This record gives sequence, structure tokens and C-alpha cells, in this order.
Amino acid sequence: MLWKRQIPIMIVSGIGFATLLGWFIDQPTFKSFVDDDATQWFDILAAFAIFLGGLNLFKLQMQKILRKKKGWQYSLFAIGGLIFALLAGFVIKGNPEAAWGSHVTAKGTLFKWMFNYMVAPMQATMFALLAFYVASASYRAFRIRNFEATLLLSSGIIIMIGRVPLGSYISSWFILYLLVLIGGIVVNSFFKNKQYTAIFVGAGIILVSVAGNSMGWPLDEPGIFYLPYLQEWIYRYPNSAGSRSIMIGIGLGIFGTSIRYILGIERSYIGE
Amino acid sequence: MNDRDFMIGSGIFTLIFLGYWFFGAPYFIVERFVMFLAIIVFSGILIFNTRKAQRGEEIFLRTIPGLKAVEEAVGRSTEMGKPVLFVPGISDMDQVETVAGVIVLSHVSKMTARYETPLNVPVCRAIVMKAAREACKESYLVEGRPDMFHEDMVHYVTDEQFAYAAGVNGIMVREKPAACIYMGKFYAESLILAETGNSIGAIQIAGTASQSQIPFFVTACDYTLIGEEFFAASAYLSDKPELVGAVKGQDLIKVIILALTIGGVFMRILFDAGILDLNILNILTVR
Repeated sequence: MLWKRQIPIMIVSGIGFATLLGWFIDQPTFKSFVDDDATQWFDILAAFAIFLGGLNLFKLQMQKILRKKKGWQYSLFAIGGLIFALLAGFVIKGNPEAAWGSHVTAKGTLFKWMFNYMVAPMQATMFALLAFYVASASYRAFRIRNFEATLLLSSGIIIMIGRVPLGSYISSWFILYLLVLIGGIVVNSFFKNKQYTAIFVGAGIILVSVAGNSMGWPLDEPGIFYLPYLQEWIYRYPNSAGSRSIMIGIGLGIFGTSIRYILGIERSYIGE
Repeated sequence: MNDRDFMIGSGIFTLIFLGYWFFGAPYFIVERFVMFLAIIVFSGILIFNTRKAQRGEEIFLRTIPGLKAVEEAVGRSTEMGKPVLFVPGISDMDQVETVAGVIVLSHVSKMTARYETPLNVPVCRAIVMKAAREACKESYLVEGRPDMFHEDMVHYVTDEQFAYAAGVNGIMVREKPAACIYMGKFYAESLILAETGNSIGAIQIAGTASQSQIPFFVTACDYTLIGEEFFAASAYLSDKPELVGAVKGQDLIKVIILALTIGGVFMRILFDAGILDLNILNILTVR
């Protein structure tokens, strides 16, 4: 029990307290422990743990091949890739002039070739897939289902158009005319009366035209209807307010979790 | 430790710190005192609420649909005879989100042990593999089903971000899990994973503190734990009074922060207007 319960809790609390105090104590030895040694310990542990990971990967893929499980052919590629990477990293340098260690970044080595012509293109392929996933996800998110989705759609359109060069060529008066027409749709669906709709749209068009004429039709005035200004406002205020509130919540959550760990209140990590 | 011992301990700590402060606080970074004080006060609030909950005081915890859905998702997998896929993010154990993800995993694995549902946990880091494995092992033991636990249910895929995403996508497409649970720290691979999960018709629950990935999860998943909901998951799922108390403490701290923000804005306005001589930003800014 002592080894499985008390000692792990003591280690977590001790290291947690030390790390927390490291932010407030300016003592060189203590600071170097918190800033350098402790993180290096973690790196060393992680370096050893990678053997466990590699072995686990090898074992599972071999099992798949030997037992001819569904999709075992893919495991051949996994094992082949693992062996090839090990050979390129530890056995075959490819370029005799490059020293061991620096051969992973030196030109003309097998490892560098593997990285440039196999790893990088495959990673780029996966990353490129993201564009298609963004499109399908955006389609779902922007479907008009309720008020929130409509709000999201409108702000999305304003941000997208306002951020591209085309957006700065769209006059705020055009947006105003557009708003009058949208207002007409709202009036029509609310009152279901053609006369009211015609009066609203007609009055709106006349008002906007008179105002535009008197102001000389400037492209970016009134600023509130000029898309580059509008998108900047949406981005800076409502967006920042929302994201900051989430940030405060996240910060508090991290703080709460850390304190629960340091004080030994949270012990799920040892199975309690 | 009872309340009396706790109060004595706190008093001794305060006295020691006052003594240390009185003697010039050697090595202490004085500019960070406000932050130090905030940590002490906030920790005090957390401990106070935890102890209150331990004493048996009932604490209301609002329903978090995403966490309520975890049991539903495991149940659905059981009914369909398909596995549950749990993805603990792509970061190492030095990230608090990964730690929180592993904690949720321990609760999920208790459910899978109870319902005898297969669990698949592909991980991106070897240390996470060890921690997740231990968490699952303990859960299966606690549920009295150690026979159902096998080490390979938590398996390592790769350290590379997109290679990991490709690997997990492959698992999804081949095994077609009925439930995909993403809890941890995610980057650009979040949408790739969530969209693939969506395409196979799995019920998806995500939780992350990676702010830029939250919209992707909200779009592609059925339930998303946003921000502190994710960190409250352990308290919610375990229903332990000490953890629930800590969540209540967090809410109180939020109220204090809100009051401080509003008060700070007013004080700053007064300072700018020349009515007040104290610039609150000088005090509250972390150095």
C-alpha cells in the first residue's frame, strides 16, 4: 500500500509544490532544479519510455500479421517502416562524411532522405486532408437551423469577406441596401402583407439613397456597415470576450486540477 | 486531518510566512506577491469547500450533458457489440489536459469493465501509454473484472502528430467503434479525427482545453466539454464529495474573478479620469 499509494502521492505533492514555488523563489540552485533538471528528468524518462512504445508497436503489429487479423497487410508497412527507420537512424548512414548523431539533419544521409521524401510528404498529405474536413465541418456548422446557427453564419460570412481584398471594395452603401432588402423579408414574413413590405423597402431605399447622396457615397462610411471595419469589430470585441471567458474557465480548471493534485485530493491517477 | 488540525496547520504556515516576510523575505520575488497571495487565497477556498463537502454538506453540481452522455455512449457500444475508442490527445503527461484525459479514461474504463465492452486506447506518447494502462488496470480491478483487462487495450501508435491521426483514423475505419471519446490536448488533428468518427456514425464526445480546437469538436462531435467542464469531469463522474467540493470552490473563485474584473475596470476608469491615484493594473499585472 505504501508503495502503491502514499509514495506516489508524496512524489506528486513534493514535485508539484517545488514547481509552484519555483515561480516565486529566486534561489539559483532551486531555480535550476525547477527550470532545467526537473524537465530534463522528464525528457530522460520519456526517452526510455519510447523503447516501451516501440516494443508495444512491434508486438501488436507482429501479432496482427502472424494471426492474419483483419487488415494485417497494413501491419507489414508498419513493421517495414519501423525497421527502415531504425536502420536509417542507427545502422546505415548513407553519407560517410556525416557524423553519427548529426546525420539525422545532414544532407545526403539515408535518414534525411527518408524524412524529406517519405515522412514530410505523408505528413503534408494528412495535413492537406484537413482542408476537405474543414469544408464538410463548415457546411454542417453553417446550416441554418436556429438563431445561433444563423448568427454564426452571418458573422462567418462577414469575417470571411471582410478579411479578403474584395471586402474592402464593397461599399457600405451596398451593405445598407442589402440590409433594407433583408429587412423587407423579415417584415413580409412577420406581417404577411405586401403593402407593408413595399412601404418598408421603398422607404428604406429612398432613405439610404438620400443619405448616400448627401454624404457623397464614401466607400467606408458609415463605418459600421463597411465590412473590413465590421469584421475587425466582431473579431476584437464579441469574439475576444467569448474566447477570454473560455480562457478564464480553462485557467481556473487547470489551477483547480493542479491544486487538487498537489494537495492529494485528486487520486484517480493511482486508481482511487 | 480534522478541522482543528487543519486550522492549526494553516496558522503555523501563516506565522512562518510572516516571519519570513518580516526578515526581508530572502530569495522571494516580491513583484509576484499578488500572484502568490491569489494562489494562497484560491487554494484556501478550494480546501474550505472540499472539507465542507467531506463533512457531508450537499453540493449541487449542474448536469453536464457531455458527461452524462459518456455512460450512454458506453451503453450504446455494449448494445451494438462494438468497441469504445478513447483518444487521450497527442501531448505527454507534462500537460494537465493529458492528465485530466487519463483521469476520465479511468472512469470510462470502469464503465467498460462493468458492461463488458471492449475498450481501445491508442496513444501518442509512451509515458501516456504506461499511465493510461495503469489507470485502466486499476479500474478493471476495482470493478472486479481483472480477467477482462489486457495490456494491449492501451497501445502505442507513434509520436508523430499526423501519423498518429492516420493510425487512429485507420482504427476507426476498420473497427468502426460505436463511441469515440476524445479527452486531452489536441492540435490540428482534432478535426481529422472527429470528422472520421462522424463519418462512421459513432457517438462522439470530446473534451479539451485547447481553445483553438474547441470549435472543430463542437462542429463534428455530439457533445463537447468546453474549458473547465473538462476539468470537472473527474468530479462529476466519480461523484466523490471532495472533488465535487473543489468544483464548487472553482465556481466561487470565478465569482471573485468576475468581481475583480468589474472592480478593476471601474478603478481603471477612475484612474484615467484622474479621480483615483492608484493604477490597479500595476498591482494586478503578473510580472
